[in-house]
Amino acid sequence: MPTIKKPGSCVFKEGVPLIPKVPIIPAFIVLLALQPGAQARASEEEPAFAQRRKAMVEETIQARGVSDPAVLAVMKKVERHLFVDPGLKDSAYADRPLPIGYGQTISQPYIVALMTELLQLDKDDVVLEVGTGSGYQAAVLGEIAKEVRTVEIIPELGDLARSRLEQLGYKNVQVKVGDGYFGWRDHAPYDGIIVTAAATHIPPPLIEQLKPGGRMIIPVGPVFYVQTLILVEKREDGSIRQKSLMPVRFVPLTGGK
Amino acid sequence: MKSRFLYPAIFLLSAAGMAYQMALMRIFAIAQWHHFAYMIISIAMLGFAAGGTIGTFLRAKYAGAESNVIAGAAFLLCLSFILCYAFSQKIPFETYQLISQPKQIGYLLALYGILSIPFFLLSLCILQGLVLDSGHLGRLYAANMIGSGAGALGAVFLLNWVRPEKIPYLLTLPAAAACLLLAVGNSRRIVRISLALIFSLSVLFKWADTPLQISEYKGLAYALRIPDAQVIAQSQSPLSVITAVRSSMIRETPGQISFRYPWKESGPLPEQIGLFFDADSISPLNRFQGDFKPFSYLDYVTSALPYHLINAREVLIMGPGGGTPILQVLARGVEHITAVEVDPRVFSVIQKHFKDFSGGIYEHASVTTVIAEGREFLQSRGSAYDLINIPPLDSFSAASAGVYALNESYLYTVEAFKMYLEHLTPQGVLSITRWFKTPPRDELKLFATMIEALEKTKVNEPGRHLAVIRSWNTVTLLMSRSPWHESQIQSIRDFIQTRGFDAIFYPGVRPEETNRFSVLQDPVYEQAIPKLMERNREQFYRDYLFDIRPATDNRPYFFQFFKWKSLMRLLKGMGLEWVPFVEWGYLILLATLIQAVAASVFLLGIPALFQKEKIAYPTKCAVFLFFTSIGFAYMFLEIAFIQRFMLFLGFPIYAVAVVLTAFLIFSGVGSFAADRYSHSNLVFLLLSVAGIVIISGLYLLILPRVFAFGVSWSRELKVIASIFLLAPLAFCMGIPFPSGMQKLCHSFESSIPWAWAINGCASVLGAILATLLAVHFGFNFIVILALLMYGVALGTFVLFQRNYEKI
Repeated sequence: MPTIKKPGSCVFKEGVPLIPKVPIIPAFIVLLALQPGAQARASEEEPAFAQRRKAMVEETIQARGVSDPAVLAVMKKVERHLFVDPGLKDSAYADRPLPIGYGQTISQPYIVALMTELLQLDKDDVVLEVGTGSGYQAAVLGEIAKEVRTVEIIPELGDLARSRLEQLGYKNVQVKVGDGYFGWRDHAPYDGIIVTAAATHIPPPLIEQLKPGGRMIIPVGPVFYVQTLILVEKREDGSIRQKSLMPVRFVPLTGGK
Repeated sequence: MKSRFLYPAIFLLSAAGMAYQMALMRIFAIAQWHHFAYMIISIAMLGFAAGGTIGTFLRAKYAGAESNVIAGAAFLLCLSFILCYAFSQKIPFETYQLISQPKQIGYLLALYGILSIPFFLLSLCILQGLVLDSGHLGRLYAANMIGSGAGALGAVFLLNWVRPEKIPYLLTLPAAAACLLLAVGNSRRIVRISLALIFSLSVLFKWADTPLQISEYKGLAYALRIPDAQVIAQSQSPLSVITAVRSSMIRETPGQISFRYPWKESGPLPEQIGLFFDADSISPLNRFQGDFKPFSYLDYVTSALPYHLINAREVLIMGPGGGTPILQVLARGVEHITAVEVDPRVFSVIQKHFKDFSGGIYEHASVTTVIAEGREFLQSRGSAYDLINIPPLDSFSAASAGVYALNESYLYTVEAFKMYLEHLTPQGVLSITRWFKTPPRDELKLFATMIEALEKTKVNEPGRHLAVIRSWNTVTLLMSRSPWHESQIQSIRDFIQTRGFDAIFYPGVRPEETNRFSVLQDPVYEQAIPKLMERNREQFYRDYLFDIRPATDNRPYFFQFFKWKSLMRLLKGMGLEWVPFVEWGYLILLATLIQAVAASVFLLGIPALFQKEKIAYPTKCAVFLFFTSIGFAYMFLEIAFIQRFMLFLGFPIYAVAVVLTAFLIFSGVGSFAADRYSHSNLVFLLLSVAGIVIISGLYLLILPRVFAFGVSWSRELKVIASIFLLAPLAFCMGIPFPSGMQKLCHSFESSIPWAWAINGCASVLGAILATLLAVHFGFNFIVILALLMYGVALGTFVLFQRNYEKI
């Protein structure tokens, strides 16, 4: 897998590009020397992937109702093919979930976009993600929010996502291997929380770590699919309200009558 | 030359083949999903059919050398048990990835190919035996049937002590014995076979010891990836393998805990051990040291509602699993609890390994444990209860995937609900909690079932007896024997208000009390509930996108919601996006049927096209029609009647084993008799079909009464009675196949392998189709269909006989 620093993955903070600590040019030269073939292939592939990303956003994500321009821009930018197994790169921009090993999946792009939109983030927000998986959702959040904290219980997945996100220059995304049930207290409260590991109950520490006025999203469904998105809103008075949203426009349940 | 020990050898090989099939079903239920039961049946029967197809071509080439073919196939069969299992575990097949990776289809086909080899070899042995012993093929077929029956029974008993993945190794023993029996009388062959067996098996035992590869998407596989997770106990039975896992990450609650629960004062959730059933469904076992404070959260879940409405002294819990529902009741100081669990291992694992951890809840002075199927217990020994509680018996993830779509459940039928009402005290309540599904269906079907049950007990206003509330992931439904009092309705209001749950229905519910804390996009309940309350709810059953018509004992598929009628609407409106929202169990069965049809066309078409001997087209059609009809009809009746008896017997796995064995053995006896009276096989066939029609018709009418009469009998007596009732039917059902074969022997011997293949294909299609049809039309329908098919078979036979006589 090509592991070159992509210029597009710089994170903008208040309009100022954050320059990654690793100097791009020396790193580029070293990688080029190590993987000459990979570099050549990557540069050949990149325009094609960019094209597919654009098509994915316009033909699927936008067509299915996601309209936040910031979210759409980010979906066009984050290179999903770098977050999947090299063997599945060709399927990276199809609108479907993909396996990432360890019994986990990378959600379909539309769901990632929809969940991001539902969080209604702005550039000053701090977000917590429980269940890092491949790190793709964290990268998408990282492009919009100020800070992203993400917790993964499976060490192999957490370590891989961390190194992937570091290589791609996501300085504002921090990965921790551990039990997401207790959130990440040091950085709480959060403006938004995504809990990708469905459970029989929403962990109370996560509710506690949600800011008043903050939003939490929980995708629910069997492996590979999301049937419902549970949106939890914490009002300014601390009371909780949930909404159950279907990501799919379902046909009328009673024959349209 | 025919071996003296051909029958015992076929008996042993057939027993091993059936046991292998049952072991594979368990292996794939643990490693993948239990839908594979149907795939395994399909694999076995297609292997059988392939044996017939290949046998058609071998017939001419090996004429006169059949006993060598049998000996060779038996030897390979012995080795294939281990080899095929070992290879199957090397194939990286994943059910869930079928959608994302086209190569998975290739893996699935490879699995089919590899696993069907032993069945193919067994089929070849039997078929060559039939050819070799064509004068007495009823006897050989009887040896096959009785052997299969013995194998089924043997497998069930073995599965109590041996892990299913070890059974293929054990099965080499009867197969090796069969190899040696076939060689008796030929001392050189005995020596050679013995040496070859000893050498091959010792190599295989050493090198092919393959552990079971559990899908990474199963709950157990995921739980074990968590760093501090460890397996601390394991227990197997023919029902399931229970694996106990300790991990700090196991925190299973019976649904969402109210956001208003005072966490800070109550402390963390109690420590839990996860009991995984077949590596998936999890039931938690809680650390309990006599202090109920850590369990105070159980008063903040939807299933706590009934305890706020009645003063329950006698409580019945169906399927308490690891014991959370017991703790929920004990915490409220209830006098007595009866805990009914169908899997005996649940209690024994907890008692044996976790008595201290669980605080001995199942030995608590207030708790009586019963191992039984809930319905059967209530019917035979149940008394009156203030509360009958059915917690969700499947896990959250299994419910959302719809993996139980094809499981028969007699707990959720109209008849069952009527019985619950009869076993409630005057103020008693039935409480059922289910996981919430999108779009809603379980709760609507249960609501409709409750209404229909109440109407059947002559209740005028069913609505005055019902209450339904929900959180975002659970729904609790209550049905009371007496109409709710005003004070109880106020208690429901207080309960949901203080806990932030939503009302779906109770008498006098106000619109502002629904859909306020956990808001649904569409007002589904507002549409559905009034229509279900109407007498003319039929229209709503027809219109609703999912099948929410109540389950009945005749059609006990509560978990199945797919409607063919909706398919076009779904396809038109959503393309294939609806697939994750329907029950996968059903779709997989459908896929199995499609592939079985394709394989059957191929396996039967080839010999029909390339058969060298010219057989008239009408004769071919007659052969095809006869063997197809009896293959289908046999499976239809077998499945329908075993289901009927399950409800009577109550404890599924052993009952099914005994009844299935009896069925096969008595069919074998029927075959044997057919052989004795082969000189007048038309008369015999006529009598047998008449017998099948009369007995089946009679059973449709009288079985419910017989079962009601014998409800309080002991289990042993029930099993004996069942065997007596099934024996005459099975005996008659064993006759048509050998009769048809004998006819062929006398006229078109070359068609025997083809007929054998047809029988194999019809059996697999029959097994799948029987389930599909029962889901939609009920068991009575498939019984009637089977009888019609026996009629078709008889008519074909008569025509065939006349045709033959003309020739």
